[in-house]
Amino acid sequence: MTLTFVLLTLAKILGFILVFCVILAAILTWVERKMSSIIQDRIGPNRAEILGFRAFGLFHPIADMIKSFTKEEFVPAGASKTLFFLAPAFALVPTLCAFAVVPFGPGDLVISNLDSGMLFVFAIMGFGIYGVTLGGWASASNFAMLGALRGAAQMVSYEVSMGLNVVGIFAVFGSVSLTAIVGAQGHLLWGWLPMWGIVVQPLGFVLFLVAAMAENKRAPFDLPEGESEIIGYFVEYSAMGFATFMLSEFLEVIVIACIAATLFFGGWQIPWLDPTGTAGGWITVAQVAFFAFKVLFLCWFQMLIRWTVPRFRYDQVMSLGWKVLLPLSLANILATAVVLALVV
Amino acid sequence: MVKVKVVERPPADLVVQSWLPELWKGMKVSGRHFFVNLLTQKGIVTSQYPEVKRAYPPRFRGKHRLMRREDGSVRCVACFMCSTACPADCISIVAGQRDDENEKFPVTFEVDFIKCVFCGMCEEACPCDAIRLDSGVHRAPAYTRKEELNGKEDLLSLGSLSVARQGGEFK
Amino acid sequence: MPTLTIDGREITVEPGTRIIEAADRLGIDIPRFCYHPGLPVAGNCRMCLVDTNRSPKPVASCWDPCQDGHVVVTNSPRVLEARRAVLEYILLNHPVDCPICDQAGECDLQDLYFAHDHQPSRHPFHKHHKDKARVLGPQIIYDAERCINCTRCIRVCEEVAKAPQLVQVQRGERAYIDVFPGTQLDHPYSMCTADVCPVGALTTRDFRFKCRAWLTHGIQTVCGECSRGCGIRADVYRNAVQRLVPRHNPDVNQYWACDAGRLAYHRFETGRVSAVRIGGAAADYAKGVRDVAEALPGADARGVVVVLTPWMTCEDVGAVVAAVRSAAPGATFAVGGAAPGIQDDILVRADKNPNRNGVAKVLADLGVTPVALDAVLSQAPSLGALIVCGAEQAKAEALAGALAAVPLSIVLAALEGPLTAAARFVFPTTSPYEADGTWVNESGVTQRVRRAVEPVGDAKGFEVWASDLADRLGTPLAARDRAIGGNP
Repeated sequence: MTLTFVLLTLAKILGFILVFCVILAAILTWVERKMSSIIQDRIGPNRAEILGFRAFGLFHPIADMIKSFTKEEFVPAGASKTLFFLAPAFALVPTLCAFAVVPFGPGDLVISNLDSGMLFVFAIMGFGIYGVTLGGWASASNFAMLGALRGAAQMVSYEVSMGLNVVGIFAVFGSVSLTAIVGAQGHLLWGWLPMWGIVVQPLGFVLFLVAAMAENKRAPFDLPEGESEIIGYFVEYSAMGFATFMLSEFLEVIVIACIAATLFFGGWQIPWLDPTGTAGGWITVAQVAFFAFKVLFLCWFQMLIRWTVPRFRYDQVMSLGWKVLLPLSLANILATAVVLALVV
Repeated sequence: MVKVKVVERPPADLVVQSWLPELWKGMKVSGRHFFVNLLTQKGIVTSQYPEVKRAYPPRFRGKHRLMRREDGSVRCVACFMCSTACPADCISIVAGQRDDENEKFPVTFEVDFIKCVFCGMCEEACPCDAIRLDSGVHRAPAYTRKEELNGKEDLLSLGSLSVARQGGEFK
Repeated sequence: MPTLTIDGREITVEPGTRIIEAADRLGIDIPRFCYHPGLPVAGNCRMCLVDTNRSPKPVASCWDPCQDGHVVVTNSPRVLEARRAVLEYILLNHPVDCPICDQAGECDLQDLYFAHDHQPSRHPFHKHHKDKARVLGPQIIYDAERCINCTRCIRVCEEVAKAPQLVQVQRGERAYIDVFPGTQLDHPYSMCTADVCPVGALTTRDFRFKCRAWLTHGIQTVCGECSRGCGIRADVYRNAVQRLVPRHNPDVNQYWACDAGRLAYHRFETGRVSAVRIGGAAADYAKGVRDVAEALPGADARGVVVVLTPWMTCEDVGAVVAAVRSAAPGATFAVGGAAPGIQDDILVRADKNPNRNGVAKVLADLGVTPVALDAVLSQAPSLGALIVCGAEQAKAEALAGALAAVPLSIVLAALEGPLTAAARFVFPTTSPYEADGTWVNESGVTQRVRRAVEPVGDAKGFEVWASDLADRLGTPLAARDRAIGGNP
């Protein structure tokens, strides 16, 4: 392990995760509020100002941040203090780790080119459940506890079908490494159609997106938290604890967008342009930018769903997960296997 | 016997149960609002309150005001019609005597804005065009109950000249 | 005995009865301004016109005596038209300043206008202006524009007060009521002129501009300013007596009351005892009763004397006697009361206490022989306890001295005075307008006193105090010792 490698990796972590993802997450809080407002024919936040500049309310995330840092960190009586403070970290860290294997661009523009790629993502995302259950349990609050139970059940249920959904992708592209999957999507079907995941696995994409949004606990699957009425597992959190939960939620939106873009939208691939990713120069820059565009689009798409669809009932969530998504995922795997067996 | 019309639920067929067509319809609506409002701000109904104030409708009933005669004295003759008509019993008057032909005037005239429901009955009842609610001034919240007790001076400060014949026209 | 028919209903009356009286007995309403059942007939307003079979045109029913075989119709079209015309004529120069008129709401002219005339004025010219707010006397203000010259007030002065101080001057539309030059309307019944005034021409200075008539609710009670016990109505608004007006009681006061009695409520507007005091310091009512209950039995050995007042109701007396006796069986009772005053041969009595008769009767029933007040005063220093009820004591100074000399001195009073300053225990009691109970007047008429306003502060009736004291002593009053009224 050379010093160059360490420095390079640190630079990539800094560039991709801190600059791209965390700042994007902060901006997403603004996007979420602004988007909900204009969908609802309102103006949205526009009052935070610096020296008279309002910048369409872009300073609100900064104001929120200052507020979160300066608010009193309230711990309920009877709460398990250590776990109470650890829980937000358990929610945040796995989400950040998931970015490690996402190829932001061709070649070395990935923090860690793991062969196990997608399996690593599943493994690390599975830890997110600890943040929820610990947060709910450590709060010493019945409402938080019930929210955590709902959250744990929902996340476990959807993790199953989320994993099975991408088996089809693995089968088609013959790898679980995200870099390899992206590289394989550079091929063309019948000489003209980019072999993106969404082309070869359309049902898989829909199922993956549904399962991933449920995994993320955002509307219409926001039963664990239900900020407007059924309070959830981080009801007792204030200040930075609360902000950390919210940040990890928005980071998960980005993770889902990254994974979906990588698996189903060709990652950094620009159709018919440099499928091997060896051109370098401006083409590489364009490829990274195109990946970023895909991620932003998918973030926007998730938010559009969030402000369109009303919340499910809890029994609906459960029956959707076990009775609809799981059989459909299995059917998808079967159909993929049959087609592959016939075609290849 | 109440006539009951039974509305059948639409059949939950596979298309509906799959959610996707309905989801698509919903996304079209929210997407249309998103793009229209993002690009043109056409649909936005918010008014930027402290800077932009909506014009009150002409019949808006705000804080009470007491009108004046040409000589500047209060038109009110302390007849208690307003406090009698008041459903909230928020008007307290103490009458006094004056030496001109109007004879009676309010020594104190208090409206308790905590009690007032701004129904306008006092205005309707007033035979002298003395009390009006057309000041256009909102009742502002206050820190103490006493501040909500608006006396004659406060109500007169909002008032203006009225030359309506006292007692109204009688044909 | 003439028998006549009014609106198809037959009635037999004594000779000389007027048609309007017969109609009143039948419950048939004939509008009137100048007629008043307590006054001689003037017959000048023409409002009470009725059709009869004995006359080619309508006659004034207040003047025409009933005749045998009379057939009277009070609501024929001709009568209604006549009433409308009379009203229009009366209203020709009326200022219609009802908003500032104190009579509004209880004005005969207003009511009858809406019942019978109800049309805008057809008078195209300027109205005749006369004096407004003319001061006739210490209690009465006169508005000549509103006056309809019914002369009821003149007749009240002449016939009731026997003081002919008012007179009608000028004629026709210029006529108005006035006092003789250099004199004023100052006889002791002057406020009755405002009562009988059917419009707002005569108003009392006491009630002028104070409150609108329709805002008040009237409580039928009894005046306590002398032993006559005139029936009065206390008009109350926002828990305050606004005025007292006489109510008709043929056994006691007819339709009238004296000015002094009607202004008496002002005495209770200031200087009230509102909280219990022990040794000059404000105290809790329950603590005061407890302390008295603990101290009273021990004082019996040296003697306990209760000075009652004829302002107490009969129920008060019974309860106080029973309670004090249960603590101090040897207690003796004396009856004090306000000093005698002027007397006239109309209503006012010399004894300025309303219930001397009732107190005497209750004490006799209970087997109590009251001792003389002077005897109490002379033996005061040797007494164990002295309880003085009521602030209205003619010998207040002497009683105050006695209270100061007694080890256990208790005063129950509504008003502050030398007694409350001298006593160790001071309990607030109700004013006559807050009390409820029974008074017996000088001629033996038993009348109900009703609560008009809620008591101030901790003020309670004597009876309630006595009942609480008896409860504290462990000997609750029997039901017959309690009032029928329900004191606070």
